[in-house]
Amino acid sequence: MKKVLSLTLCLLMMLSVLGLAACNKTDTYEIAVVTDVGQLMDKGFNQGTWEGAESYALANGKTYKYYQPANGSDATDNDRIAAMRQAITNGAKIIIAPGFLQATAMTTVAKENPDVKFVFIDGWTLTDDDGNPLPNVTAVVYKEQESGYLAGYAAVMGGYRKLGYTGGGGGTNPACNRFGYGFVQGADAAAKDLGLEAGAVTVKYSYQHGANFSASPELQAQINGWYSGGTEVVFACGGSMFESVKAAAEANPGSKIIGVDVDQSFASELVITSAVKGLKESVAKVLDQYYNGKWESDLSGKTQNLGAADDATGLPIATSRIDGFTAEQYNELFAKIKSGAVTPKADVPTDANNGEWLKGFEIVIVEFE
Amino acid sequence: MTFLIQQTLVYTIPLMIVALAGVFAERSGIINIALDGIMIFGSFVGALAVYIMQTAGMFGDNTQIVFLIAMLVAALAGALFSLLLSFSAINLKADQTIGGTALNMLAPAVTLLIVKIVSMQDRLSMPKALGFIISNPDMNDVFKPFFDKMFISTYIVIALFVVLSILLYKTKYGLRLRACGEHPQAADSVGINVARMRYLGTTISGALAGLGGYIYIATTASGTAEGTVAGMGFLALAIMIFGNWKPVGIAFGSLLFGLLKCIGATYASLDINGDGIFALKELGLPIYFYNLVPYVVVLLVLAFTSKKSRAPKAEGIPYDKGQR
Repeated sequence: MKKVLSLTLCLLMMLSVLGLAACNKTDTYEIAVVTDVGQLMDKGFNQGTWEGAESYALANGKTYKYYQPANGSDATDNDRIAAMRQAITNGAKIIIAPGFLQATAMTTVAKENPDVKFVFIDGWTLTDDDGNPLPNVTAVVYKEQESGYLAGYAAVMGGYRKLGYTGGGGGTNPACNRFGYGFVQGADAAAKDLGLEAGAVTVKYSYQHGANFSASPELQAQINGWYSGGTEVVFACGGSMFESVKAAAEANPGSKIIGVDVDQSFASELVITSAVKGLKESVAKVLDQYYNGKWESDLSGKTQNLGAADDATGLPIATSRIDGFTAEQYNELFAKIKSGAVTPKADVPTDANNGEWLKGFEIVIVEFE
Repeated sequence: MTFLIQQTLVYTIPLMIVALAGVFAERSGIINIALDGIMIFGSFVGALAVYIMQTAGMFGDNTQIVFLIAMLVAALAGALFSLLLSFSAINLKADQTIGGTALNMLAPAVTLLIVKIVSMQDRLSMPKALGFIISNPDMNDVFKPFFDKMFISTYIVIALFVVLSILLYKTKYGLRLRACGEHPQAADSVGINVARMRYLGTTISGALAGLGGYIYIATTASGTAEGTVAGMGFLALAIMIFGNWKPVGIAFGSLLFGLLKCIGATYASLDINGDGIFALKELGLPIYFYNLVPYVVVLLVLAFTSKKSRAPKAEGIPYDKGQR
């Protein structure tokens, strides 16, 4: 009896293995998204990219799939390379990878597979060993400083005087740095427009406890310290860090949060606005260009630097909870940025984890931690 | 000062209760390395309970009842989850470290799977904040640290900690439990059911760890379950050893560690005597120094006290009646 049972089980197992193998062969996915550190559904960066790919694929009947490199937030280049190769094995024709950390992995895999196209979100054109741009890679970067600028401007116009910024990536993530730099510049500009005296607006600025974009008791404690010391609104710039900032804000009545990447007003009543970038729209746009045969002419080896002029940066003003900063004021300022009359600077040092480059504002004092 | 004490409690409370969870298991003779996994599982089930209650609109604005129920549910989930460990360790006489490691691997995976099914996201966020049970912003500085901005969980954990410590040391049940961790053969010879005692110890341990897990996410991440507790369970395990498997030592260890961690995270905005000068920031030491201090101090204390440190003698060894 036992023998029969074990034989049946063995057979069943073999069958199921065969069945799975068969499955793998028939299913291919043309559009692949290889995620950055953090999780796919992070309500931010990865999710925006994914939703862009998904919406385009659904509308145009393409197959699509996402790949998360192994080891989560500690993923190495090898993990990313493995994820990209897996995508190609599964039939990917175009791979979209958000996050500037993907550069090395993407260069390696793009050289191996000249027929597969790569979209590098948040990075610049990649080059081969001789310094020539790789023709099968296109890059998309955003002018995050513009969204940050708008958020900082709106906050000060709305009556907030003690601001905070906590950024992910430990000062080495260019996107987070640009958001933060723009935020301070916007606050300074608004303070000037309001005729405030020097030092009337302060910004606490920190990269501590955000190195891998996750929530932690350390971050919650630090931000709680800020709020209880009088900070009114904190710009939470990085994935799950939002949860710890939210916990700290809930502990201090009257505290507010500024969200990042996508409109986060639905995540908490305390979010007054969000510094967004149009990930979803631009990913869908690039896919559209690719499928309409414009790769060679518009995308190959090029970098698109998207900003207000492309409607890729801004604030979701419809869900804004800032009294004293109206949609008219927003549109006016947005138009100025769009036309180039106001251009927030983006010259952040490569390693921004120090307070030196944030000195010298006219009114705003940056308290770096 | 008030802020420092309150924030220290945010660290200390989950560490303290989970370290006590470790004591209950190890005193009964079962190494519970699965504390971290049980915390993750408990935190998730607690979060799920809150999510369900809040989306269904149960209890309306009475968030403290929701908080209480969530803690109960989390403890229950932790207890059930820990039965896997007790079953493998007691009935199957399996290696307890491996069993515990399996639980540690199982918990985040199961949690993320269900979170994805429930919320179509990698985390389960709460629609509403749970908030504090009391807020007395105008209280004087002596009582303020303990009666302003307090979570209901803080009081419950302190009460539980005291009651369970007394249970472990001043009652016959506690004596029997500890006997099973020191010399189960001797305990058996006087008619104590070793298997039952060990089940009891591990189940209490699981319940406390699950409770600690939920308190951890409720107080530091606004109740969001993400399939991780940032290694808090392993930290609690270390605190348990630091505290020499004794409640008083654990309370001291988690307070010390919590305080130092809290200073490390908030040194730049700490104003201890309220004169508007941030003394620690003025010192100009790099942040790494403050992040290092908790671990260095723990190492130092261990270096001076570890001679007296004694683990329960029979922990980790499956009970074998034949050795009597």
